[in-house]
Amino acid sequence: MPEIAISTAKLTRRFGALTAVDGMDLQVESGQFFGFLGPNGAGKSTTIKMLTGLLAPSSGRMSLLGLDFSQHPIEIKRQIGVVPEGMGLFERLNAPEYLEFVGRMYGLDKATTHKRSDELLEFMQLADRSKTMIADYSHGMQKKLALAAAVIHGPRILFLDEPFEGVDALAAGALKELLARMTERGVTIFLTSHVLEIVERLCSHVAIIKKGQLVAQGSMEQLREGVPSVEGRTLTLEDIFLSVVGQGAERSQLEELSWLT
Amino acid sequence: MADVVGPGLIDQIRLVSWLRWRILRNSLRKKSRRLDLLGLVISGFFSAIFVAGVTVGFFLGTESLLEHQQEQFLGLLFLALFVWWQLFPILLAGFTPQFAFRSLLRFPLKLSAFYLIGMAYGLADSAALAALIWMTAMVAATLVAMPAAAPVMLLVCTMFAALNVTVERLLGAWVEKLLAKRRSREIFFSLFILAMISLQFLNPIMQRYGRTLLAAVRDWLPYLWLLPSSFAGDTVARAVEHQWAQAALKLGALAVYVALFTVLLWMRYSQLYSGEELSETAAPARREKRAVIAPSDANETLGFLPPQVLAVFRKELLYLKRNTFLFFGLLFPPMLILFFSVQFAGAHPTALKKGVSSDLFFPGMMAYLVLILIAPAYNNFAYEGKGIQTYFTSPTRFREILLAKNLVTVLLLFSEIVFCVALVGWRAGLPSTPVLCATLTGMIFSIVGQLTLANWSSLSFPRRMEFGKMQGQRNSGMSVLVLFGVQILFGGVSALILFSGRWTGSPWLPAEVFAVLALAAFAGYFSALDRFTELAEKKKEVLIDALCR
Repeated sequence: MPEIAISTAKLTRRFGALTAVDGMDLQVESGQFFGFLGPNGAGKSTTIKMLTGLLAPSSGRMSLLGLDFSQHPIEIKRQIGVVPEGMGLFERLNAPEYLEFVGRMYGLDKATTHKRSDELLEFMQLADRSKTMIADYSHGMQKKLALAAAVIHGPRILFLDEPFEGVDALAAGALKELLARMTERGVTIFLTSHVLEIVERLCSHVAIIKKGQLVAQGSMEQLREGVPSVEGRTLTLEDIFLSVVGQGAERSQLEELSWLT
Repeated sequence: MADVVGPGLIDQIRLVSWLRWRILRNSLRKKSRRLDLLGLVISGFFSAIFVAGVTVGFFLGTESLLEHQQEQFLGLLFLALFVWWQLFPILLAGFTPQFAFRSLLRFPLKLSAFYLIGMAYGLADSAALAALIWMTAMVAATLVAMPAAAPVMLLVCTMFAALNVTVERLLGAWVEKLLAKRRSREIFFSLFILAMISLQFLNPIMQRYGRTLLAAVRDWLPYLWLLPSSFAGDTVARAVEHQWAQAALKLGALAVYVALFTVLLWMRYSQLYSGEELSETAAPARREKRAVIAPSDANETLGFLPPQVLAVFRKELLYLKRNTFLFFGLLFPPMLILFFSVQFAGAHPTALKKGVSSDLFFPGMMAYLVLILIAPAYNNFAYEGKGIQTYFTSPTRFREILLAKNLVTVLLLFSEIVFCVALVGWRAGLPSTPVLCATLTGMIFSIVGQLTLANWSSLSFPRRMEFGKMQGQRNSGMSVLVLFGVQILFGGVSALILFSGRWTGSPWLPAEVFAVLALAAFAGYFSALDRFTELAEKKKEVLIDALCR
C-alpha cells in the first residue's frame, strides 16, 4: 500500500462569516506531483498555508508523512520545504546569506549548507548576483531564490505556491526538470498554479477546489473519466477545469462589454 | 478609437481632491488607523494654536514696524515666511505619507495641467496654508496701520506666495528624486539624525563661542538684500516712502525670481512628464564576478549556542549593519550623555552653577540609556517583513528566535553601556562603589525584566517597519503604551530601591535587593520563553498579517 504523504480530514478554516476551506478531505500519496487548482478565492492559498504551518485550521485534522501536524509540528517542518505566497524572503540579506540562514535554521551543518548553497545558486543562475541584496532582485530572481531555499535541506514534501510566476522560460525549464527528478526520487510535490498547461504537463494527480470544497481529485485519466468528452479530441485540463468549476460569470457578461469589442 | 473627452482642469483638480479624501477615509476603516486619526486631531489642535499664535505675531510685528517707521525690517518677516515655507515641508517629507503625485501622469493630462495641479498641491500643503494665513495677517495689519500701503502689500504677498509655492514644488521634486533611492534615502535620514543630534550642542557652543559667531553672522547680514524676501520687504518699504521707482525696481527683481523659478519648475516637471523613472528596482544591479562564498566564522565564539540561535543572531547583526537609520541611532545615546554631562555634571557645568553629584548623575544616565536602547525590543519583528513566514515554516521554536534577538539587544546594550560608563567617568566621575554596584545590578534587573515583557509585546502588537524610511516608522499604539507603562514601573521601583540605601543608612542594600531581583528576572525570562513559543503559534496570523502587508 503506498505511503500517504499528505492527508486531511474535515479540514476547515473560517475567517469570521466566511468559510475559506470547508471540510476538506485530501489524500496525496508519496512521490506524486500533485496539482492543486481552483479559481481565485477558492481556498488554495488558505489550504497550503494550513498544510505548511502558516495558518491554524478552525477544525479538522491534517497529517503529513504519517505525523499529526498539531502533535509534531517541528518534526514535520523538518521534512517539508515551502515557497509561500509572499516567498518569505529576508530582503536585506544577499542570496548566500539567506541560504546559509535557512540551511542553519533547518539544522544543516555549516559545511553542508555552504556546499548546497553554492550549488543551488549556480543552478538557479544567481551565483553572479551573490552580493546583491534580495530587495534589489527582480521578482523572478526572488522566486528562484525562494525555490532554492525551499529545497536546501532536501525535503520529502515540497509545497509550491505559484512557483513559475515571473520566472523566465529558460529557468522555468530547468526548474521543471529538477522537480521531475525530485519526484522520481520519491519527493512529493504539492503545487498550485493558474497556468493549467504547466499543471497538465507536470502533475500526475490533480485536485480542484471551488468555494472551499474539493470538487474533483485524482489522476488526469480519472478526471477525464468524470467529465463528458468532446468528440474527436482528448480533454485538456482546461476543459476539465472549466467543466468542473463552471464557465463562470465572466464569459456570460462579455456581451455586456460590447463597447470594448 | 478611444471616445474620450478630456475633463477640464478644475474637474481634474476636483477629482484628485476626491481621490485623496477617499484614500484617507478608506485608511480609517482599520482600528489602528483610527488611533492615528485621533493623534492627527490632537496634533491638529496644537498646530492650530501654534498657527494662531504666530498669526498674532505677524499682525503685531507688521503693524508695529509700519507705525514706528521701521518698514525696512519687513524683509525679515518675509524671510521668516520663506524659511518656514521651504524648510517645513522638507522636514515633514520623511515623516508624513506622500501622495504619489507622479502617478497622475498615467492619465491623459497635458503638461500645463500637470503643472497647475502641482501648484494647487503646493498651495494645499499645511506649511503653505499656515504661511498664507500669516501673509493675510500682514495685509490686515497694513490695512490697520497704513491703509494706503495695503494694495502694495497685497500685491507683494501674492507674488511672494507664487514664488514660495514654486520654489517649494521645485525643492519637493528634487527631494522626491533623492528619497526615491534606498541608499540616498538612508544617507539623507542619517544626516538628518546627525543634524538633529548636533542641534543639542547648539546651546553649549553658543555659550562658549557665541560672541564670535554673532559677529560672523553680522558680517553676512548685508548680503541678505539679494534674497527675494528682502525685495518683497523693500518694495513695501519704498512704497510707504513714496519712492515709486525704487518700489517698482524691487518688485521687478521679485518678479524675476518668480519667473526664474517658474522656468526651473517647468523644466523639472517636463522631465517628470516625459517619464523619468524613479522606482528602486528600476536600476539593475551590475553583474558581479562569480563570488566565492566562504562559510562565516564570525560567530565561532558563540558555537555553544544551537545553530538556529546562531543563524538568527547572525542575521540580526547583518540587518543592524544594513539599517543605516538604526545604526546611526546608536550614536544618539552616547552623544546625549555627553551633552547632559557638559550641561549638568562635572566641575564646570554650562547649565548649572554646581554639577549634579555623581551618585545621582550616574544612575540617571544609565537609566536613560536603558530607556532609549531597549525601546526597539518592544517591536522586535518590525524589520522582518515577509521573512516572518520563514520562522513559521522552519523547524524552529520561537524560544530560539527570541533568544537570538535578545542576545543581539544585550550585546548592543553592553557595548553602549561600557562606552557610556567610560564617558560618564571621564566627564563627571564615577559614583561611590555601592552606587556603582547598585546601578549595574539594577540595570541587569531592568534589562532582563524588560526583555521578557518586550518579547510579549513584540508577539502581541507587531508593526511593520521599513529600512531607510521615516514615514510611519513607529510602534503600534499598544506597544508604545506597554513600553511606557513598563518603563515607568521599572524606573519607579528602581528609584525607590536606590534611594532606600540613603533612607536606611545601608549603602549596600540597593545592590543586594537588585541582585535578588535580577536573579528573579532571569528565572522569569527563561521560564517565559517556552510560553512565548505557544503565544507565537496563537498569534501567527496577527504577526504574518502585520509584517507581510
